[in-house]
Amino acid sequence: MLRSILQIGYKRGLSALPNSFDLMGRNPAKVMSAVRWHGGPSISKDASTVNVVFIQPDGTEKKIHARVGENLLQTAHRHDLDLEGACEGVCACSTCHLILTPELYDDLPEPSEDEEDMLDMAFGLCDTSRLGCQINVTEEMEGAVFEMPKATRNFYVDGHVPKPH
Amino acid sequence: MPFAGHPDYGHIGALVEDLLSSQNKSEKQQVVVIGQGNVALDCARIMAKGISHLVDTDITSSALEVLKNGVQSTVVLGRRGHVQGAFTIKEIRELTKLRKEGVNVSFLVRSDELDLGMTHASEEELEGPGGRPKSRIDKLLRQAAESFYDESTLDEKEISLRFLLNPIEFLPLDDDPSTLGKVVCERTKLEGEPGNQSAVGTGEFETFPAQMALVSIGYKGVALDGMQNEGLFDPQRGVVKHVGGKVAEAAGSKGGLYTAGWLKRGPSGIIGTNIMDAKDTVITILKDLAKQPIYKKGGDIDKFLKKRGVSVVTWSDYENIDAAETRIDRKRTEVQPREKFTTVNELLVAAGV
Repeated sequence: MLRSILQIGYKRGLSALPNSFDLMGRNPAKVMSAVRWHGGPSISKDASTVNVVFIQPDGTEKKIHARVGENLLQTAHRHDLDLEGACEGVCACSTCHLILTPELYDDLPEPSEDEEDMLDMAFGLCDTSRLGCQINVTEEMEGAVFEMPKATRNFYVDGHVPKPH
Repeated sequence: MPFAGHPDYGHIGALVEDLLSSQNKSEKQQVVVIGQGNVALDCARIMAKGISHLVDTDITSSALEVLKNGVQSTVVLGRRGHVQGAFTIKEIRELTKLRKEGVNVSFLVRSDELDLGMTHASEEELEGPGGRPKSRIDKLLRQAAESFYDESTLDEKEISLRFLLNPIEFLPLDDDPSTLGKVVCERTKLEGEPGNQSAVGTGEFETFPAQMALVSIGYKGVALDGMQNEGLFDPQRGVVKHVGGKVAEAAGSKGGLYTAGWLKRGPSGIIGTNIMDAKDTVITILKDLAKQPIYKKGGDIDKFLKKRGVSVVTWSDYENIDAAETRIDRKRTEVQPREKFTTVNELLVAAGV
């Protein structure tokens, strides 16, 4: 049910208005793009998994099971890894920045323009940097290694790891 | 900004409406925005769009009424070149995509001005640290300068991004000295070392007719009362003096004062930068607490505020505001996220405080 715009305070009328909003307000360019805008659906625990390794900022490795279909930010959060996702996975920040091996980076489809724009602002950007929220786990990632950038020099001085919320 | 519904700026709408309708019939409507950060670009974009492209956003209805036609011509200008611009690529890209999205606004960039700004030092800035984002912006702006559109309809609007122009004078209209008529700018050239180039006047001038000028040139931190005297504040940079986020201790101070964000680093950086900055400060706080765990527990903040007659809006009060703003009968369209309350009184009533 669409509320007529001629109600609620518009006494002078608005002739420039289109008659329908069947795009539901969504920007057509964004609907078409390859960027994930909504943080990703939650993947069932029955999904198949692959073994991957996350190298944490202090250098220690954590071997975990990633679910095929989830994005790497979701993987990290499920395992309490300290990968910040300030924008909650909608490609609007650079805090889920991960460094991939050259082989995996080349195998994946190229990042979208929007992802590249956000990567511009990532701390410690490398040639094989990607945003975790934009990469879906696939079967081919069996054995993949993902490096979490060392964010600041003070970062893990006392070992404290804030929980993702 | 008034279109965000800030209660302190409710009066701006009428002022803007007045200014935008003040031009002579023979002249085009033009707004000059001084500054080249993301806020300046956002202003230009929102002002130009017009009602059909804003109606589904959470812009307040009163602001939408003022901006319903979209400003015909907006000039965003900066003293230095495009390599020194404070904007990030995302905001530039939004301007290049307007036409593709069906908004009848052209985004105009001059390649001669891009070239003028490419001093040897600017080239080095493109290669140095922080060069990747700037190189991508350079490439995008050159593409924008080269593209043009064949259609020029009567309702054509434009946003021009101009560089190496230093505004030096606001002049009134010839026949109405009470209102703005023109912004006079001096052409500049860049001089200095990479990362530190300054804009020097060349003696050439360009005048922009304008009904309204917006100044968007950033922020500078100010000292709180008493901070200046304690030598805790650097007035030139506008930042608090600190070590790892701990405010530099004045003689006799018990410590326990910390800083984070723009007041600590200066007014630059986005959420991601500030998150890391805050984490640094928190690490320092935790280290200090580990060393000196004896700080007296503070008093009851609720009692303290009540004693001072400060009314407090809690999270659940905010949830009342949220529910009220998003009520279907308040909204212009189903898709509009919310129709904001724009006065403190309305907010407090909705909060149920």
